[in-house]
Amino acid sequence: MEPLVKEGNITVPYQWTTGPAVGKFLTELRDNKKIMGLRCPKCKRLFVPPLELFCGRCFVEMKDWVEVSEEGKVISYTVVNLPLPEPCQPPLPPPYALAAIRLEGADTEIIHLLGEVEFEKIKIGMPVKAVWKEKREGSILDIEHFKPRG
Amino acid sequence: MAEIKEIKGKIVVPYHWSYGATITKFFQETRENKKIYGARCTKCKGVLVPPVRLCGRCFAPTEEEWVELSDHGRLVSFTTVYLPFPGQPTEPPYTYGMIRLDGADTDFPHLIKEIDEDKMKVDMRLQAVWSEERKGNLFDIKYFKPEE
Repeated sequence: MEPLVKEGNITVPYQWTTGPAVGKFLTELRDNKKIMGLRCPKCKRLFVPPLELFCGRCFVEMKDWVEVSEEGKVISYTVVNLPLPEPCQPPLPPPYALAAIRLEGADTEIIHLLGEVEFEKIKIGMPVKAVWKEKREGSILDIEHFKPRG
Repeated sequence: MAEIKEIKGKIVVPYHWSYGATITKFFQETRENKKIYGARCTKCKGVLVPPVRLCGRCFAPTEEEWVELSDHGRLVSFTTVYLPFPGQPTEPPYTYGMIRLDGADTDFPHLIKEIDEDKMKVDMRLQAVWSEERKGNLFDIKYFKPEE
């Protein structure tokens, strides 16, 4: 007997509340093409992207918003060749390169795509620059990718 | 534009559900032969449709005796759904009925069409309308309609 199998799909729509820090970060990306970070008044570290209003090391509130450069350097990277199973929604069909990028002035890394580069030529320490999308929707992908800077 | 306060997302969970031997037989018969089969409980002798491997009342096996049922039956209960929610068989409003097929001892839910809800009555006679293209699921029967 041929066993019958039902193929189904459960969809789980959700809304994730950004909190004030990520909300402002994404709003500035969308409206002003600015990458904003938060500086800890105690340890002086600049968090980009700012995920919380509190410095996790000092437990003090951060109020000091700082615009950072859209240029930085690759701290680490990987090339993704494997298609991810659903429900993961990769930003692109593989292969694509993901990098941890430290923007100038920042003390943390932002994870983003590397574009306009051959994967073999990516190097740690490589200077990169943000490429903005024309149509921005308030997402980290309002920056299309980072590309090598001459 | 307003400040961003929330992000909308969607998680998709695809799955495969294996029907198992009993439901496989049931859907093979609807798909290939436009026939509705029930299974008789070896203990209480009730005919269960859709069939299950074990009778829910007696915990006794059923699948030793398959019973071919009529695709006609009577309406046991019904309701009209106006509210949209995920996983619906069709756009609301639609009417769902519990149907007792001739020869069966359990009820079986399906869409009721070709009649206005205010003309429907419990105990009215119904018959199945089969789909042209049958895929081995409950919608091998398109819906039930008043008996001609």
